[in-house]
Amino acid sequence: MAEHSAGLKMGSRLSASEATAHAIPRNHVVPRRYPGRVIAVIVILILALQAGKAVATNPNFHWEVYAEYIFSPTVLRGVGWTLLLTVVAMGIAIPLALTLVVMRESINPILRGAAWCWVWFFRGTPVYTQLAFWGLFAVLFPSISVSIPFGPELVSIESRWIVTPAVAAIIGLSFNESAYLTEIFRAGFRAIDPGQIEAAQAIGMSRPKIWTRILIPQAMRIIIPPTGNETIGMLKMTSLVLAVPFTLDLTFATNAIANRTYLPVPLLLVAATWYLVITSALMVGQYYLERYYGRGQGPVLGKGGQH
Amino acid sequence: MDGAAVNPAVEVRDVHKFYGDFHALRGVNLKIARGEVCVAIGPSGSGKSTLLRCINQLETISAGRIYLNGELQGYREINGKLYELSPRQIAQQRRRTGMVFQRFNLFPHMTALENTIEGPVQVKRQIKAEAIERGMALLERVGMSGLEKRYPNQLSGGQQQRVAIARALAMDPEVMLFDEPTSALDPELVGEVLDVIKDLARTGMTMMLVTHEIGFAREVADQLVFMDNGMIVESGSPYDVLTNPQEARTQAFLSKVL
Repeated sequence: MAEHSAGLKMGSRLSASEATAHAIPRNHVVPRRYPGRVIAVIVILILALQAGKAVATNPNFHWEVYAEYIFSPTVLRGVGWTLLLTVVAMGIAIPLALTLVVMRESINPILRGAAWCWVWFFRGTPVYTQLAFWGLFAVLFPSISVSIPFGPELVSIESRWIVTPAVAAIIGLSFNESAYLTEIFRAGFRAIDPGQIEAAQAIGMSRPKIWTRILIPQAMRIIIPPTGNETIGMLKMTSLVLAVPFTLDLTFATNAIANRTYLPVPLLLVAATWYLVITSALMVGQYYLERYYGRGQGPVLGKGGQH
Repeated sequence: MDGAAVNPAVEVRDVHKFYGDFHALRGVNLKIARGEVCVAIGPSGSGKSTLLRCINQLETISAGRIYLNGELQGYREINGKLYELSPRQIAQQRRRTGMVFQRFNLFPHMTALENTIEGPVQVKRQIKAEAIERGMALLERVGMSGLEKRYPNQLSGGQQQRVAIARALAMDPEVMLFDEPTSALDPELVGEVLDVIKDLARTGMTMMLVTHEIGFAREVADQLVFMDNGMIVESGSPYDVLTNPQEARTQAFLSKVL
């Protein structure tokens, strides 16, 4: 803190000291050499080249099959569905988890209890089982109806028109994910100094305003890295939708081709490549989100510090 | 509210506060007239900050009443029965007091200016351009011109506290409350914050301050209150309390700090 303020005072007198700063002859330093680093680079390079050669030239990998299927329509459609499932499931899970966190921090014990039960149930049962149940929803509940409890039915719709395999997959993935995200978000909000709430209350902010203006923007910084992690996890969790069964996602598509051609290895590589590509794209997005929500929280003096 | 003109700005009537079994405030009575500066001193844990936080409803009181310009805080009283106000009504009452915290509590994701206009824009629904103009003027008043785009972590403690004062003033409060505003500051930064508070006192703002700066208290206070063990032991003009204390506990405290 002391150094910090000293630095700022220098900053305010910058114009005066700037001229002299250029005149002072700087130390000439011969950079230290690190031979260990050079050796490490050589060793890692040799190992990487050997591994690369072993994979690239190995006939068992069937690179010609890989090349044939990497952009095949079935695979690309699988990529599209996997991406769609990931984005939609996260798009539902995030606001759901936010609602659940607000409920958990509520002064109303019933809302708190309901949110706790939700997390307890969806985190405590396997997602595969949950997906299978959502897949069976139309069998278990043939029709969905709006009615007065124990009274007459108002509207009734057949379940199979609403809970289609795609919907079952999305509900299953997002509900399960919301339970995990709730805990991540809760940790993020708990990390905020209680003084922030008091300061917001002192200027007369209402509870909803405190959440949206003060708490959420500050929690974002803490929440984003683990949520990015969860999104990447979700990307790969979508392969479990065969439990529904939903049969259009990437893993199902490549497995189907592999079963037909009796060549699992190149198609596993096809799937792995696409998962890697999507993950990389998600990481770029995360970088920009982190930068936005990290404003005002970076290193002291941020860009100004050129000492 | 016909008697509003004669009501004191702040009236604390026989207030008690319990934290579980701990009796933090034991029957506090206090009146602060309009335009008056009231400074509370006393040892740590004597209840000074708790009293301030009760006035601002950051703490609920266990017994007694607190009035701001004649309006009962936190409750509606009908036939001697207290009815809790809604969170919205409480937020509305809180707007009328400005609070400055020991640890500044600036919003770290907002610049100095954004901190200052947050209340006017989000709570008072002022037009943003007007709020910015006013915010800039307030920041200038606390000596922060040219630093309005800095984030709190790019400011020294003294600068942060001055922004916090501007943020509180932006809500046009009827009473300003300062909870040990210089206790978290490096010694060389205390003066700049006290100067701002002194200026504010001269403008006729009603203020209550909790501080350990006895010299400052002497200079700025119209009413000095010495608290110990959850009670107001002695109150009066700074001269009476500091130079001519009547109570043994006041004398003992002053002999340690003066």
